[in-house]
Amino acid sequence: MSDIKANSKLDTSGKCCPMPIVETNVAMKKINSGEILEIIATDPGTLTDIPSWCERTGHTLMESGQSDGVIQFYVKKG
Amino acid sequence: MKSLAIVVREDGYDKLLTPLAFAYLQGAEGTQVDLLFVNWAVRALTEEGAKGQVIQGEHAAQDGWVRQQVEKAGLPPDIYDVIQALKATENVNFYACSLASSIFGVNEDNLIPEASGIVGASWFLNEKAAKAEHCQYF
Repeated sequence: MSDIKANSKLDTSGKCCPMPIVETNVAMKKINSGEILEIIATDPGTLTDIPSWCERTGHTLMESGQSDGVIQFYVKKG
Repeated sequence: MKSLAIVVREDGYDKLLTPLAFAYLQGAEGTQVDLLFVNWAVRALTEEGAKGQVIQGEHAAQDGWVRQQVEKAGLPPDIYDVIQALKATENVNFYACSLASSIFGVNEDNLIPEASGIVGASWFLNEKAAKAEHCQYF
């Protein structure tokens, strides 16, 4: 469990590519610069997709981890 | 990526999923995506054609199962619904090839409103494909 406090949470559990990235884009538009989005995913593709999406889009991946097939990302909006 | 051009020639429910999923990914991220539907695939730009897409050939018997898996993945299970979702990103344009439209019975009357029109292949190749940062063929 992370100590990071997210401003918003997106749960994409059970969904697969392209939906986690599609929904992450939508969720990120709803928060302000500097705020943090917590993303929950079960698609292993997100392990590569979310970090590279952060690099391309100017957001910061603060922390990620996985446990029992559940992947968690904390992304600060740039 | 700023722009992506995709030429779709294969129809069939399963064969349309990949180009539409790629377009959805990039459209959601803000990439300008232009798709040209040629050959049999142009029929997917009619409501009847989009809704009538099925899995053909050796995997035909698994059509229902694939649709369930697609819905589980979070995508609409119907091709027309996927097209509408892509259009809602405001970054994805659908074009019907004029030659394919003529051969396969697509016209301004049955073209779905989500499509930007029936266009010449030369226009698409020069104005969209050649100017896009990346181009794909399915």
